[in-house]
Amino acid sequence: MELIKTENIIKTYQDNGVPVHAVNGISLEVNEGEHIVLAGPSGSGKTTLLNLLGALDKPTEGKIFFEGDDLSLKSKKELSDFRLHKLGFIFQAYNLIPVLTAMENIEFSMMLLGVPEAERHQRSESLLEELGIAELKNKRPNEMSGGQQQRVAVARAIINNPKLVLADEPTANLDSKTGGHLLDLMDKMNEEKNITFIFASHDQQVIERARRLVKIKDGLVDNE
Amino acid sequence: MLIKLAWRNLWRNKRRSTIVLLSVIVGVNAMLFMDGMTNGMLSQILFNQISLSTSHIQIHNKGFSDNKTVQGIIKDSEKVEKAISNNPDVTAYSRRVITFGLLSSASNSTGVYIYGVIPEEEEKVSRIKSSIIEGNYLSNAKNEIIIGKKLAEKLKVGLGDKVVALANTPDGTIGSEVFRVAGIFKTPSSEFDKAFIYIPLATSQSMLDLGESFHEFAIITKNYKQSNSVRDELTSKLDAGIEVLSYEDLLPFIIIQLDMYKESMFVVNFIISLALIFGIINSTLMSVFERIQEIGVLMSIGMRIWKIFGMVVLEALILGVFGTVIGVVSGYLINIPFSIYGIDLSFFAESLESFAMGSILYPQLSVENFIITLFMIPLISVIAALYPAYRAIKLEPVYAIRYV
Repeated sequence: MELIKTENIIKTYQDNGVPVHAVNGISLEVNEGEHIVLAGPSGSGKTTLLNLLGALDKPTEGKIFFEGDDLSLKSKKELSDFRLHKLGFIFQAYNLIPVLTAMENIEFSMMLLGVPEAERHQRSESLLEELGIAELKNKRPNEMSGGQQQRVAVARAIINNPKLVLADEPTANLDSKTGGHLLDLMDKMNEEKNITFIFASHDQQVIERARRLVKIKDGLVDNE
Repeated sequence: MLIKLAWRNLWRNKRRSTIVLLSVIVGVNAMLFMDGMTNGMLSQILFNQISLSTSHIQIHNKGFSDNKTVQGIIKDSEKVEKAISNNPDVTAYSRRVITFGLLSSASNSTGVYIYGVIPEEEEKVSRIKSSIIEGNYLSNAKNEIIIGKKLAEKLKVGLGDKVVALANTPDGTIGSEVFRVAGIFKTPSSEFDKAFIYIPLATSQSMLDLGESFHEFAIITKNYKQSNSVRDELTSKLDAGIEVLSYEDLLPFIIIQLDMYKESMFVVNFIISLALIFGIINSTLMSVFERIQEIGVLMSIGMRIWKIFGMVVLEALILGVFGTVIGVVSGYLINIPFSIYGIDLSFFAESLESFAMGSILYPQLSVENFIITLFMIPLISVIAALYPAYRAIKLEPVYAIRYV
């Protein structure tokens, strides 16, 4: 079943008055439950494409459809709700909220959804257990290693059972062993929970695990 | 969790938050101190005027207040006295003869207000007995006089010295009497001390050929706030030819001055608030700029912008509320010793005494001051946070999450 579809999307930035086409006409269809890696060198446009798919940015031209809805027609508030209900994000630098504990970070998006406190605790504890990081629940990000933080970030991304998780260079700051464990974890979530994962990465380890590899070069799909 | 998040965000930079908190506390203390000083000053001016000679209510023959002629004696004073005695809210009254005359010593002469009073009555409505600094208060002996210190200096007289008072009688002749200075008083008003003298009522009546008549009833009520209602009650019971005036009617200039002082305090508080606003704007803006990436993450995980707006405002509000509560408590505690022992402003004694204020200022804080502060400063904190919160929600998530 088709989850997301882009139609010839272009994203142009102005760099000192010079137009730069970060994404230069990409059409892509992603089905539910897929595991895709957008691969390409730095500056190829993969992060820009990921931001467009995550409705963090709007294309200069072209359209993006999520479950058949045109994202360009949505208001800021609707896009916020869309991200809250449908998406999960994993960032290269983990980007946990530093003043919250692991459990509070995970619970935060549930709180935004209005999930009652008892249910929040039960769900987050269960997920922490499932991801093997239950002992981190009361730790703040500065008390955790990079790998631990990224596991908490994964938990935060999937706690609301999103349709799609967008992971931007999730292993870039991790050693290969820790990165491997993390990718195992995300593969497991993809298989068990049928969550669609789209990675943007130039890490060989990530690329090798791709069930669908989309190579990006100069803002275009190079080959698939 | 939003409150928890805002609270923890505040203490990420302890030094900055502590400085802002201290500035709020100092601001609140400054506002309360200024309010206390102003309240104290205003009430001292008002109550000194009331306790010197004005009292809460005065009753005269109609027109006497504007034109104090010796002919303006109260007609049917027994009926007036009965109405006063029957009013349950009246605690004391004093009958007074009042006229303008000339007081002469061997070396000088000056115009004075002559007050003929019954000492036992007068001491219940004015502070004149407690203001005696040399000699004694009136004892009803026929030729006793008490005068102000400034007047004694001007006339170059001391205790036991002889002075002569001259004043017009109702039929136009001159009445005169020789007095011995029995006491010298010093009140908070230098003007009063220069111009008012007290003699026994009976002496003033014989000197001015008034028989048993007099010019004024000075009345003290249970509470000064009742003055207008007691005035209205008495007015309704007395003839149209009698005027009943409360201190507000008698001291319009002072009442206007008090209102002006209150309004000027509003300006002072506004200036203090303005300084606080800019302090809070600065720190909240810095706090937002330090967290641009984090705000981007919050936006990307679906936090609505009004919640981000609320989070920033909440941080400032928490600082404002805590600063205000601590400031109000410390302001109250700081005010206690000053309100008991006063602030010595002897340096400005001369100008203060001309305002009937005295040289010791006793700050007074009212419940109203605390309530206004408790609402105003948190409100100011919220107002100050609006711009930083606006800046936070205007961030584009894609720009914010990449911000380093």
